[in-house]
Amino acid sequence: MAAEKEIKPERRVLIVDDDRDDLAMVGDAFRALSENRWQIHTAASVAEALTILAGEKIELVLLAVNSPVLEVSLLLGSLGRHLKKAVMASAAAGDQRAAGADLFVEKPVSPEGLKSVFAGLCQLLDWTTPQGFQGVLRRVGLPDLIQMECLGRNSSILELYHEHSLGRIYIENGQVIHAVCGEIFGERAFQKLLTLTGGTFELREFELPSERTINRTWEFLLGEAARQREQLNLRARSGESTFTGAEASSSEPANRAAEMLVCTSTGAVLYHWQCPDLPARVALLQTVARRAESLIPELQLGKLDRLEIQLPGGRAVLQPRADRLVFVRVTRPPAQPQT
Amino acid sequence: MKADFKTWFATLPAVPGMLACGVRRPDGKYAGYGDEKNYPAEKIEKLLGRFSELHEPLTATDLSPRWTTWAFEYGQLRFVQRPDQWLLLLLASPETEAAHELDRISEDFLAHPLK
Repeated sequence: MAAEKEIKPERRVLIVDDDRDDLAMVGDAFRALSENRWQIHTAASVAEALTILAGEKIELVLLAVNSPVLEVSLLLGSLGRHLKKAVMASAAAGDQRAAGADLFVEKPVSPEGLKSVFAGLCQLLDWTTPQGFQGVLRRVGLPDLIQMECLGRNSSILELYHEHSLGRIYIENGQVIHAVCGEIFGERAFQKLLTLTGGTFELREFELPSERTINRTWEFLLGEAARQREQLNLRARSGESTFTGAEASSSEPANRAAEMLVCTSTGAVLYHWQCPDLPARVALLQTVARRAESLIPELQLGKLDRLEIQLPGGRAVLQPRADRLVFVRVTRPPAQPQT
Repeated sequence: MKADFKTWFATLPAVPGMLACGVRRPDGKYAGYGDEKNYPAEKIEKLLGRFSELHEPLTATDLSPRWTTWAFEYGQLRFVQRPDQWLLLLLASPETEAAHELDRISEDFLAHPLK
């Protein structure tokens, strides 16, 4: 009896290369070599890569970059531990750029070399048994799962996928410490994630988030979530729109990264992308951070997390931190007229 | 200040979670509400001036902000400046009705017919 060919599940791979010709060539080659089992996403910059990672469930990131070491380090450092990371560069540059990656491969110069790289990436994808478990929201209640994790004093990350949006809830030693859902975070993100209907989740190994945005007890958070769900149900029964924020946002056009800057408080640029006037932006960040700092004791509102600037066609976020100042601007595509 | 604007402004402190709010006219006249202990009128007026200074470097760039939101650990501070120089300052507790209403209130303020 002839053995049936095993059909492997589709893999989602992101390739980052600042050379667009190479990017297209490598993407096409891997697509063909995987017999279309790899869903290939491509990004020509770190900013594009971060935008894709924010919305897609990527398994493997291949950084085939000729960019400065700092850009590669920035991207590698911002990726979660569950993501497989490979760096493809010339042998001379590899030592510096591969720090933080799971695999370093030399940039091939022939089709045969590309096949070897592909084989190495396949091995990397199959390398470890995924930890945790997966589930579907319709079958297991998300509040039940959170309660279970908290009562067990576990540390984990709950990743939720709903249509095109990705959310994360961070639980450390049985306490919810951080949540993020698209561009929002904190309690608002937590409550938004708990209004989702349908979708899937994965429980992942815990890793420290970049910040802690939730201080309340899990009992309070789940109680508040239950109250909000009840309100939605009441509205539904009284005939009002039951659109939740999550559902509404899924139909909104996605924001697009337009500009990014990371610098130290002394003005040394660590990373920049598409800044129209770099010195002016750095000066702006420094001025705002310095003046805001002087206001903080007077306000008695705790630490400044961020400044959000609402713009006519999008928004910008400025985050002053002790070791760096971050500026990101996103544009919103014009809404399509409804027919 | 127009009577209908006064009425609109007077409703703001009643929004649950609103800690303080203040408005300044182009001629410098000021009105504000806030809890007398933590945010007395003089303090809100002073804050309005300080945030107006913080807003200046932003308007001097290509950004043209419609409004700015300063997100602190225990509160969100919204600053709105109209092209005719009316200023609005709102201070809301996080995750409250007031925090969620900041955009709507800001849009109302920008659209209000004022002279």
